[in-house]
Amino acid sequence: MNKRKFARVFTMALLAALAAPLMYGVLELPPPGQADAPAHSNVSAGYIEHGAELAGSENLVTGVLLNFRALDTFGEVLVIFTAWLAVSAVAGKGSETGHDSTPPSPVVDYVVRLLGPFIAIFALFVIVNGHVLPGGGFQGGVLLGAMLILLSLALGRESVADLVPVRSWIWLRAAGVLAFSLVALLGLPMTGYLFGLPIEPALRHALMIVLELGIGIGGGAVLAGLYFAIAGVESS
Amino acid sequence: MTVVSSLASHIDYLVAVSLFLTGAWILLTSGNLVKKVIGLNIMETSVFAFIVTTGMVDEGAPPLVAAGLQGPFASPLPHALVLTGIVVAVSVTSLALVLILRIKAELGSVELDEIALAPKADDSAGQSNQRGSADE
Repeated sequence: MNKRKFARVFTMALLAALAAPLMYGVLELPPPGQADAPAHSNVSAGYIEHGAELAGSENLVTGVLLNFRALDTFGEVLVIFTAWLAVSAVAGKGSETGHDSTPPSPVVDYVVRLLGPFIAIFALFVIVNGHVLPGGGFQGGVLLGAMLILLSLALGRESVADLVPVRSWIWLRAAGVLAFSLVALLGLPMTGYLFGLPIEPALRHALMIVLELGIGIGGGAVLAGLYFAIAGVESS
Repeated sequence: MTVVSSLASHIDYLVAVSLFLTGAWILLTSGNLVKKVIGLNIMETSVFAFIVTTGMVDEGAPPLVAAGLQGPFASPLPHALVLTGIVVAVSVTSLALVLILRIKAELGSVELDEIALAPKADDSAGQSNQRGSADE
């Protein structure tokens, strides 16, 4: 008991020693919200001034994600796909097709079945409008994943897992990685650079929508897969 | 007086720092693995809040150029970086949770105190069990 008390006091001292330089450093920064702070006057100013025409995306965040920093986003998509691989490796086999469904009440069943298509359409809208309005592949993908988790909570996991053939799930989860690889390699003949998008506006928009759809579908399927894997461990 | 006004103008950053310290406290002192993951998530959230706050502009508009909005625009770069951070945070959290579930299945507890005691009680049983599954 005494040992635990000592550990708490020691942790408190450690955090106080961490807090002092953090507080000091934060107070030395220019206050948040100043338009002429260094954070707003270099790279960001360039993105705001020329980003829309250079990237072909009126939503500058999407422009940064898919164009200026496409390599970062490719890494991001790889991280979440690798996370799913690792989680399902730890969860073990049989986690995809657990039988956990208690029969839902008719009200829950009906409402979830009614809501599903609307959530799916909204997710698709958010995905394909990512270059004009707030949103994009990741946000739409999370909506899609949330819809799949909601359906599997109400209707049972196997009814969601049976939506597509078992072997197709891994291709859906890899959709983001595949779309990014494809567009990266297409950039080589079209612009001479990996991840280069063509100048031609229609073609560029089409490729950006391919990227967004890949991120959205891949992200949604991976999120649902993470949930299935974790829920499968519990029931086994 | 200057210290007080400086504290007041940096209140957003200070909230992020205190959230970070709260998360670190939970991560370091809690003996429950799930609570440690929650602490880690609070720390991650504080970093996201801090980075997004640096991109904020007073009276600014979101960085959507053609939506009829007038400048000054918020900086788009922190938003894109935080999106990457959130994806990594989700990946780390899910991997941590599934590892905790396996620990619970193998050792019967998510409390560090009880886990430290568990292997001594049935050490040979646990080892033979592991060998058996490896042979399969």
